[in-house]
Amino acid sequence: MNEIEKLDSEIDASCRVSLLALFVGAAFWLVVASVLGLIASLNFHMPEAFANCPWLTYGRVQPAADDALLYGFCIPAGLGVALWLLARSGRTPVRGALVPFVAAHLWHLGVLVGLIGILAGYSTGFRWLEFPRGASSPLFYAYLLLALWAMMTFGARRERATSPPQWFLVAALFWFPWIYSTANLLLVAWPVRGVTQAVVAWWFGDNLLFVWLALVGVGAAFYFLPKFCERPPQTFYLALFAFWTLVLFGSLCGIPQGAPVPAWLPVASSVAAALLLVPLLAVVIVAWRAVRGSVLSKWDHGPFCFVGAGVVCFFLSGLMWMALACPEICRVTEFTWFVPAQAQLQLYGFFALTMFGAIYHILPRSAGFELPFPKLARAQFWISLSGVALLVAPLAIGGVAQGRQLQNPGISFAVISNSTLPFLRVSTTGQLLLLLGNLIFVLNVFGLASAWKRSVLKKALALVKAPLETAEVQA
Amino acid sequence: MSDESDHIPPEPPGRPPGPRSPAPMGFFILTLVLLFLAAVYFDHHSGWFNAQVYHPFVNANELEKYQPKSGEAALLARGMATYERVCGVCHGNDGAGKPGQAPPLAGSEWVLENGVNRLTHIPLTGLSGAVDVKGQTWNLSMPAMGAALSDADLAAVLTYIRGSWGNKAGPVTPAQVKAARAAVAGQPPINGLQALKALPE
Ligand code: HEC
Repeated sequence: MNEIEKLDSEIDASCRVSLLALFVGAAFWLVVASVLGLIASLNFHMPEAFANCPWLTYGRVQPAADDALLYGFCIPAGLGVALWLLARSGRTPVRGALVPFVAAHLWHLGVLVGLIGILAGYSTGFRWLEFPRGASSPLFYAYLLLALWAMMTFGARRERATSPPQWFLVAALFWFPWIYSTANLLLVAWPVRGVTQAVVAWWFGDNLLFVWLALVGVGAAFYFLPKFCERPPQTFYLALFAFWTLVLFGSLCGIPQGAPVPAWLPVASSVAAALLLVPLLAVVIVAWRAVRGSVLSKWDHGPFCFVGAGVVCFFLSGLMWMALACPEICRVTEFTWFVPAQAQLQLYGFFALTMFGAIYHILPRSAGFELPFPKLARAQFWISLSGVALLVAPLAIGGVAQGRQLQNPGISFAVISNSTLPFLRVSTTGQLLLLLGNLIFVLNVFGLASAWKRSVLKKALALVKAPLETAEVQA
Repeated sequence: MSDESDHIPPEPPGRPPGPRSPAPMGFFILTLVLLFLAAVYFDHHSGWFNAQVYHPFVNANELEKYQPKSGEAALLARGMATYERVCGVCHGNDGAGKPGQAPPLAGSEWVLENGVNRLTHIPLTGLSGAVDVKGQTWNLSMPAMGAALSDADLAAVLTYIRGSWGNKAGPVTPAQVKAARAAVAGQPPINGLQALKALPE
């Protein structure tokens, strides 16, 4: 082992406990999210099945599934990746690993409280901000701690010059506390009045779902794609451009065209969404230049597929996001299945796939063990990808069909709802595939974590025995 | 580190930062073009941050047209609205009348008379039998279309028909309508030209 490799493995080891805490919890919530999502979509096929159990009604299960995915999986996974990546790219180990370890547990506890709160009927009622207050404060402080530690690691970096992935991730570290506190203060603690509430909620949803996820996911992709392809990143200025335009235009979107607010708000939103074309194209070009014509080693191949597919889904979901903000298209797609299709493509297709790739790369190195089921992990790529396709495509197509029928006052609402059923059936199949993929992910992460725990126990046992042996030798 | 980790190859070591190749020029041009189009769109649709402009309206001037007015303009607007709702079906929104349905109001001597007593009576009791309007005889029947309107509304309607489509005669006040309403209480429709002329001007 040479100097550099030694430092790398020291850094990996310094993140170990924090990453395990973050990723194991994330994997768990991922499965919870899929199960809840499945129950929610079953509610459409068998409306009587859960009708007598208020905890499992659609209005509670659906937001619980969404939040389990977003807060349970996406954010801790993203934070773990950010922590490792800032440590690695700054060539500094994480100091005081106990703090992020505790913060990770606090975060997962917050998610648990929040999900129970939603299912028990204490949701705040704001989209993507459903967690009741008892959950949002632990989440906020846990995030602050994790972000603080990641920032300290970044501040102590040995490589002073910064690179594109670092900007994206550092921005994401700041973004969440800012939007989460603002939204909670203005909507839950001291609610603003009237329609302003809706505006704040839209702003928050856009900034979390579009901007935060994009910052972390694209940042990770910009780091991993060149790394997997073993070539230096080629496109410094274009990445810089992508960063600023993404932050600038992305954060202004989100107010739907039909919103009952003064015209300048939705108009500004749709103008910003049209301008998103610039960062979307920039991201694709940067990614393309990184991977063009490269040959991958067998080790990097699996994670590479995940991250690559993630970037493609980022572009597609971005286009759908732009379509939703275009007044002509929005008139048809608003209030249809097209909207959740976009969100699912964003969450599962783009972010979850990218995180799978990143975690499959990071976790074995950091924990010091191979993946227990590498073949399954490779199969998971195809399972998850087809799951995303089967979930999103029918919802999107069905949404457009539904929207066009809704334009026709001659067709009754019940008939239109019924005609979306075949699409929903296919998308439930997609959800089942995703669940299968998620189970494989959990199997790998949990297997890795327990292998590590066993080795720790073995070492501890050996330590207990060791002094005796040396004493004997001396005697 | 445990033995198992030997299977995982170390990451390729940190590479020197790549050459800082410039971003493609076409990209900036695209951005500028998009920015320009966005600005134009915003200019046309946003109402420039005016908190009173909502979709589907696009600016304050457009809104102005729909705002309630005051004074004489308000009276005419009210008269026009009521006229088009109640009388326009027969007399036409342009006041030109419709052959076989109703005589014209534009230029009609009954509308333009200096005194408004006869004119006010017509919508309050209705009119039937042969009447001459602009040299043509009409033998039709008009129900008491104005009886259900309030004094202020009927006054606004009559003021409107006396002041529109080239008509230039003075206004009718609610007080005049009120007096006429009291006078016609319980009377049958005015029947024919003679009966109409018999009314004081
Ligand atoms: C149902 C159709 C109808 C409606 C509605 C109607 N009118 Fe008439 N109006 C007539 C007809 C028909 C005559 C001619 C009656 C006749 O031939 O005796 C007439 C005659 C008149 C005349 C006298 C002739 C002239 O052209 O100057 C006046 C004034 C008049 N209407 C005013 C009104 C006003 C004001 C209203 C609304 C409050 C109104 N009408 C609503 C059918 C209508």
